[in-house]
Amino acid sequence: MPSFASYFPRISMPVLVCALITSFAATAAVAQDTIRFGAPLPQTGPLAPEALKQQQGYDLWAEQVNKRGGIKVGDKKMKVEIVYTDYQSNTPRAVQAAEQLITQQKVNFLFSPFGSGAAKAASTVSEKYAVPTIASTASSSQVFDQGYKYLFGTFTPNDTLTTPLVKIVREKASGVKRVAILARNDLFPLAIAQDMEKAAKANGLEVVFFEKYAINTMDHSTSLSQMKAQSPHWIFATGYINDLVLIKKQMSDQKMEAPVVTMIAGPAYKEFIAATGKSSENISSAAWWHPAATYKGVDIFGTPGNYSKLFQEKYKSEPDYAQASASVSGVLFQMAIEKAGSLDRTKVRDELARMNVMTFWGPVKFGPTGQIDSLEPPVLQIQNGKTLVVSPAAIKQADFKLSVK
Amino acid sequence: MLYLQVLLNGIVLGCIYACVATGFSLVWGVLNVINLMHGTFIVLGSYLAWWAYSALNIAPWTALLIAAPVYFCLGYAVQRGILNRVIASPVLVTLTLTFGLDLMLNNAMLYFFKADYRRLVLEPAMGSLSVGPLVVPVDRLVAMAFALLLTLILYLILRRSRVGRAIVAVRMDRDAALLMGVNVKSIYAIAFGLGASMAGCAGVLLAMIYPISPVASGGYLGKAFVVCVLGGLGSVPGAIIGGLFLGLVESFGSVAFGPEHSVTLSFGLLILFLIFRPQGILGKRGFE
Repeated sequence: MPSFASYFPRISMPVLVCALITSFAATAAVAQDTIRFGAPLPQTGPLAPEALKQQQGYDLWAEQVNKRGGIKVGDKKMKVEIVYTDYQSNTPRAVQAAEQLITQQKVNFLFSPFGSGAAKAASTVSEKYAVPTIASTASSSQVFDQGYKYLFGTFTPNDTLTTPLVKIVREKASGVKRVAILARNDLFPLAIAQDMEKAAKANGLEVVFFEKYAINTMDHSTSLSQMKAQSPHWIFATGYINDLVLIKKQMSDQKMEAPVVTMIAGPAYKEFIAATGKSSENISSAAWWHPAATYKGVDIFGTPGNYSKLFQEKYKSEPDYAQASASVSGVLFQMAIEKAGSLDRTKVRDELARMNVMTFWGPVKFGPTGQIDSLEPPVLQIQNGKTLVVSPAAIKQADFKLSVK
Repeated sequence: MLYLQVLLNGIVLGCIYACVATGFSLVWGVLNVINLMHGTFIVLGSYLAWWAYSALNIAPWTALLIAAPVYFCLGYAVQRGILNRVIASPVLVTLTLTFGLDLMLNNAMLYFFKADYRRLVLEPAMGSLSVGPLVVPVDRLVAMAFALLLTLILYLILRRSRVGRAIVAVRMDRDAALLMGVNVKSIYAIAFGLGASMAGCAGVLLAMIYPISPVASGGYLGKAFVVCVLGGLGSVPGAIIGGLFLGLVESFGSVAFGPEHSVTLSFGLLILFLIFRPQGILGKRGFE
């Protein structure tokens, strides 16, 4: 009986020719009508929840742009297409994914992979091919101090989160003197804890406890017992949502109370409140954006309120800073392309570098390193099961409250 | 006083580790199968507890009555339908097979439950018991009590029942058991079912303590591995001793070297035991 392979040479040529013609036609069509944005995301693996948020943000922006006919490039409008690749929460694969998007998928522009670590790793590729890239989830300044020209970021450095926190606690709770810090031993959570330590010391607070815990730690009871023995006034814990849910649960188990408890980055997400229930009351946090902010932008979303409305219509839930940052990254590309009037990567890069606009995300101006330096991130606090803005004064929704049980 | 609290934390944590490891130890000891699906079975147990509480308002300890037979059947079916086909092969084959099955189960969980973290929040909360300055959370005590009870039941099944003696006989000498008329394939399936049932029940109890997510399975599997090697393979008391030892080492290690080294410490111990005392603390092979 002839094998399947023996048929192959006979059928392969016509099929190949047809496939080539079709794909050539498709590429030609793509080149004429759409602008392709590459987005390498950790769609599977431990970072999958974060990828979902990013994708929601990009998709919402693309949908809104396409509804209006697309991005205006010179005198014609071009539709937007986002090309996703999954790098399975594995940083080396994120770099490969970025390169593959540029060289094989022929994307015009790129969004960075998730987080500071992967964004830094992949930035080398986009710099090599001179592809303007916006990192929507990278805050560590080490990502941007490499002297790269094509990398931009929508998060201000970590210390812009901790400094306003220290300021508001100093103002509202003068009795708070002793600070205890528990940090996940990981790039972003550790960097923010170290910035907190610096800010606390600079403001005359005493750091009585500073410990790091390993990734995948299943028990914090001993660290918390040690922390409790120091009677801190301010407990500052960093990590991702699962770590912080467990830490808060074990704090309640050990009947730990303090005037101020701050956690970064969980409490800005509504899932944190759902998982911790009433014990989350008065926990403070800081994030780069909140739906309650009152910016009046000139972009397609306009205000945070309008952005929230459109987001809720599409996804039936309230957006947080992760989704908004993904959307604003699209918005910024759109504005730069429209201003440049072309898809020329160097021209678009130059427009991004000299950008100074108001958006629903807040005022956007990139510093010399490419990292945004115009934003004042809000301080948040959970009150009555809702996350409210307590600072800065211009967008404040409630007063800062003390006592976390 | 801090050290007394650390001791208490270590004991409670140790019992939880024992609960995580018992089923894994049974399967490894009796079947010589390193079941890499164990962590996923635990997470599935947690999802069952979460669903039973949020949809049907069934408390976790009552949900144990559902979890035990459900996961027994699941384990029995997996062993009977899949693993028994390769049970006589070298250990690497079964290891790879359970690894593949685990990938499939894990991705199925990601697909159906999403990667979100969920938590079973008991209303009203159970709170904590205080004795002077010492505090111990009630939900951990409850989990610990049920874990010890389940382990005791498993121990009694193995010691006193005909099936249990048959499992032990198969563990000691497969061929002799076969000659004595023991249906070895069926005993394998029962042992795997018991292991899965213990994992499911552990998951139900852990749902009261830990956030639930498909990605948590690797952490549970790692702990089960270390506990089994420390306590002695295939021994029920060994799992408890190993669990307690690990809990105490991690708690005091965390005070001495800082919490960032507690995971390193447990895997460091694993390596030391594998080199110097591969039979574990209890030093016996197989069940008695």
